[in-house]
Amino acid sequence: MSRLARVSLPQALAYRGGQPMIAWLLHRVSGIGIVFFVSMHILAAFFLYSVEATSFTGAVSEALTEFYEALPMQLFMLFAVLYHAINGLRIVVLDMFPGLWKHNREAMWVQWALFLPMFLLPAALMLMRVKI
Amino acid sequence: MTTRTANMARGRSGSKFETVLWFFTRVTGVLFLLLGAFNLVYANLSGGYGNMDMAAQMRWAFFPISFHVESTAVEVTPNFANPFWQAYSFLLVALAATHGFNGLRVIATDYIRRPLLLAWVKALLLFLWLLVLVGAVFLVFVFAG
Repeated sequence: MSRLARVSLPQALAYRGGQPMIAWLLHRVSGIGIVFFVSMHILAAFFLYSVEATSFTGAVSEALTEFYEALPMQLFMLFAVLYHAINGLRIVVLDMFPGLWKHNREAMWVQWALFLPMFLLPAALMLMRVKI
Repeated sequence: MTTRTANMARGRSGSKFETVLWFFTRVTGVLFLLLGAFNLVYANLSGGYGNMDMAAQMRWAFFPISFHVESTAVEVTPNFANPFWQAYSFLLVALAATHGFNGLRVIATDYIRRPLLLAWVKALLLFLWLLVLVGAVFLVFVFAG
């Protein structure tokens, strides 16, 4: 295994990987975000239902529900899940037909064309609190 | 370039475990898209249309459990005593947890170079994965029943 290069933060920020680097970074960040949130959500629900209901557990579950239903949180989850799904689909398709990797750049533009309306429209509806 | 070819050569003769998980990640990833689409259609056909806001639609699409639509006017929710919905929900959350924690394992192996620390982090991830699965069993089969 090759040793990782020690790169300073300014050097790392100056590295221009372009679209593929952004996609890789967003895929990782959204993936970590989803695992973190979903695990926390399941474990919190599990522990809250496991113990006897008291005023303390009531306060905890109320605070958690408030956190889950906060708009920034929901917008982040929508972004993370949707980006991870669409970027993952691109990777799956290109891995299945490796000949298509030479069209990766075009595939990334298609990906943004799919992602942006699918994210911005529900996000706008959520911001306006529209009932569907 | 040399490291790349070396890695590819090692990949071909390398561990079956990694190959299986690589394939598992892709298969479940596509499956989640299909399940999410199915959940959304089901939610709207079973009384969600006109009664759920965008956020409730999303919560339902991610995981169809009755707790997720408690704050909406939806009256028809799946009967979670029904073994089909229990098996479906548990399968969904188990596959999602496995997909996610395998992803964390891959990220850990990318960044952690000290073998002992890596082993501890992997053990911690394994423990958390099992804990999430146990939690999911109780939530799906006991508490939401």
